[in-house]
Amino acid sequence: MTSNTETIPGFTITKSLGVATGSTVRAKHIGKDILAGLKNIVGGELTAYTELLMEARTEALGRMMMDAAQRGANAVVNIRFATSSVAGGAAELFAYGTAVVVTAEG
Amino acid sequence: MYEGSGVGGLIVLSLIALMIVFALFFPLAFFYSMLFGGFHQSRMFKKLLIREKKVSETLGGDNIHTLSTPINLQKISQTGLVMANISVGPSWWQLFLGGIKSFFGGQIQSFDKILAYGRNEVMQRLREQALGEGWNEVINVRVETSMVMNKVKGGQQNKMGTLEFVAYGTGIR
Repeated sequence: MTSNTETIPGFTITKSLGVATGSTVRAKHIGKDILAGLKNIVGGELTAYTELLMEARTEALGRMMMDAAQRGANAVVNIRFATSSVAGGAAELFAYGTAVVVTAEG
Repeated sequence: MYEGSGVGGLIVLSLIALMIVFALFFPLAFFYSMLFGGFHQSRMFKKLLIREKKVSETLGGDNIHTLSTPINLQKISQTGLVMANISVGPSWWQLFLGGIKSFFGGQIQSFDKILAYGRNEVMQRLREQALGEGWNEVINVRVETSMVMNKVKGGQQNKMGTLEFVAYGTGIR
């Protein structure tokens, strides 16, 4: 289970297993970069970037989940995202949260 | 000797042709942006409004909110992160207007429209995502803005003015 709230309503956190992290760096190939520039003539959505960033974010989240699973957690709470541009159109997507063990409230 | 100069002439000719194409393309694109950019964007807005209406009619309300506890649901069996994103950029014409306006300061109306569109669209995508994945409610929704596609070269940052909006929250059922 994943959540960006501090606690999961209806569940009790029995154990905290530290911070689980996952990150990925992605860049767009130049052809799509140019196409995005052309799309930008009339403004609006740049589908290529939207897809790239969603893929990257999903990947970062997946890596975070793997990290949490290795720690023996069954849930990650308080997930946050951070984004930074590294250089020349490359973006780093970083996801982190607290790996915990939760049990359902009886 | 003769053949060599022929090839050289061809290269020079093609370079000149390329220069003419480029010189024509940018003013034309700019003109196109001026004429049709606003039209294109209002059409996107209209489509978005239709989708928003449809979802609010099927739900009879809204399924996303920013509180950290559920409102309607009593018993939670499962939670999961739901997220949606969009990257938007102003048109070349709007960018030009914004550039002029930022000399004098004040409200830059040309960017208002596209930013409002981006935020509303990303919220709508979150609603649709939650519906599609079968979550009853999405709690603790956050909307973040980032400029991820910055081209940091020689101090010129984000020349295209592209922004990314992310909305994420915890889906519960």
